[in-house]
Amino acid sequence: MGNPMLVRAESALFYATMALYLASMALYFTFFALKRERLGKLAGWALLAGFAAHTGALAVRGVCAGRLPLSNQYEFATSFAWGISLCALIFLWCFRFRALGAFITPVIFLVIGYAALQSREIRSLMPALQSNWLAVHVSTAIIAYGAFGVSFAVSAMYLLRERMEGSAIWREYVPEREKLDLISYRAVALGFLFLTFVIITGAIWAESAWGSYWSWDPKETWALITWFIYAIYLHLRVSRGWHGRAAAIFAAVGFVCVIFTYIGVNTLIPGIHSYA
Amino acid sequence: MRKVRRAARALFSMRAALAILLLLILACVAGSVIPQGEIAAYYESAYPGRAGWLILLLGLDDVFHCAWFAILTAFLCANLLGCNLLRFPALIRRTRTGFTPERCLSRWDGEAQVETAGAPDALFRRMGFGRVRALRDGEGRECRYAVRNRIGAWGAWLTHLGMLIVILGFALGQMFAVSYSVYGVPGQTKAVGDTGYELTIDDFEVGLRDDETVEQYTARLTLTDTRSGNRTSGEASVNHPLKRFGMKLYQNSTGWAADVRVWRGEELTQQAVLCAGEQLAVEDMEGLVLAFNAFYPDYATDASGAPYTASSRLNNPAYLYTLYYQGRVLGMNALPAGERITVEDCSIAFDAPRSYTLIQIKRDPFTWLAGVGGGVLLLALFVAFYLRTEELWAVRREDGSWAVAGRSAKGGALFQEKLKRLAKQTGRPKE
Repeated sequence: MGNPMLVRAESALFYATMALYLASMALYFTFFALKRERLGKLAGWALLAGFAAHTGALAVRGVCAGRLPLSNQYEFATSFAWGISLCALIFLWCFRFRALGAFITPVIFLVIGYAALQSREIRSLMPALQSNWLAVHVSTAIIAYGAFGVSFAVSAMYLLRERMEGSAIWREYVPEREKLDLISYRAVALGFLFLTFVIITGAIWAESAWGSYWSWDPKETWALITWFIYAIYLHLRVSRGWHGRAAAIFAAVGFVCVIFTYIGVNTLIPGIHSYA
Repeated sequence: MRKVRRAARALFSMRAALAILLLLILACVAGSVIPQGEIAAYYESAYPGRAGWLILLLGLDDVFHCAWFAILTAFLCANLLGCNLLRFPALIRRTRTGFTPERCLSRWDGEAQVETAGAPDALFRRMGFGRVRALRDGEGRECRYAVRNRIGAWGAWLTHLGMLIVILGFALGQMFAVSYSVYGVPGQTKAVGDTGYELTIDDFEVGLRDDETVEQYTARLTLTDTRSGNRTSGEASVNHPLKRFGMKLYQNSTGWAADVRVWRGEELTQQAVLCAGEQLAVEDMEGLVLAFNAFYPDYATDASGAPYTASSRLNNPAYLYTLYYQGRVLGMNALPAGERITVEDCSIAFDAPRSYTLIQIKRDPFTWLAGVGGGVLLLALFVAFYLRTEELWAVRREDGSWAVAGRSAKGGALFQEKLKRLAKQTGRPKE
């Protein structure tokens, strides 16, 4: 299905995206290892170029399919990677520290690598997926997952920063732990807000498609579990002063849950979301 | 009384909230990993040793409908409600009198986060504080004070309220919602449970694309109020339920149906419409039951002899049936179109295969409440995360310079960094 020329263009853009993300990751690592400011700048540009190519690939696939490319494992995985890229660029721009790139690009590359392993065939939408809510529900999920991806990367930085306290390069390029903690919190807050939006829009859509806005389908249940985990994280920060290390570990666990909700539930537990 | 108060305080505490959330997580994991709603024998055979017995004992075969899950949810509601009630007076006080220049300056240790050479009004504006109050403190020093997003303090409180409304809407829906299923082929009229309504399936269409994938299932329906005689018609398709008489009619499922005819000798004695999965008791042949198991529009068999359909077109229709006599299987086969099953002088044939539709009819008078709760929850989270209460103040020192300080809920270090950066950008930091 789809215009063969557009299919080839999408394929080329997708591989260009992978190459650019890989280049960005390598440049960020080199920048971090050699303390070369110029390489850090180049890595940032490579990430931006990768994001542009990625946006192009998604747009071409959308034109090819005649709908938003958000309805199967490949499309959601590549959109998920796009969401992490977008959130990474926003956080890089807002908080202005390049070292974040060295931690976030491997996550992006892993997710887009997973997408590359999926079937890229363009299929028509089944009736239940033909809804405007698909666009709202899945695009908010992309932002939520992307933000949780950033919180995971920043939390990993926090945990390593603790061990690398004596290293000059870490002191120079990685913000103070207190700041990392707050950035991770802000990423979780963004993700949590959007995850709530995902659950609510999913409920509205389920009500019009299946006649029930909540039916304890495994995907719904795991989205709720993820929501509970991050709710505990947010409460612990307020009540028990769980800042720093414990919060970083909790944010990382939360992201593992996000990944399971996305990949594990679809592959291990059958349910009405199995196509997603 | 003291014990009750202590128990209530424990139930309304953050520690209890975290424990309840953890238990809910465990329940949800169990409910998603263990197949739900199967018969007891399934768990006994699928899970080795005493695991199956334990699953049944703990109600893990139907987690989301068992009593302890409901009790856990009730505890969560009590915790949310209690927490909100306890915090309400303090929040009111804080909103009314908690953010004043007098209170802020009296609690300040005098340490400047930023020092500016001149009046810091531009810095206040750059920091996003629109309304800046100019005043003098108790020592007669010139001061500036601004506060923004006072509503931010209400974020968590409103989040709890939103959750409570969602749970209440869902619980009321579980108690008062009614749901019925009606299935049939075009032309059939059936009662909608005990509602006094009748549903007529006027037409049912399965829209196919060129590649034979299904584009949409559309049912044209007429709903009749048998008490008043009022009738209303409309279309229901997937994602577009039909709303009539306060009910929603969903195009839920579909399958194959066929006409079944029974002859004794050459005389037609019985005919009915049978949907795949249904059974027909043959009249005048006591104990003879025909089960219509499945329909294959383009019948084929694979290498192992298992039947499948090669396409969705009616190229080679076949009906899979089982014939029972006195509860025992008499025969089972795939019957090609036009052929008959014969038992003594009785013969049975299938004909006119067509799609049937399953319509789900629902009335949930509390969906709107859960929707309102969801809306409140979203808004509240936005308030909690993005309308952080922030205060900024400045005091003029004797040498004419200004000491500027501020605070932000949930973001102290980033707030101070922004303050320092913007102080540099406004161009008047004290050297």
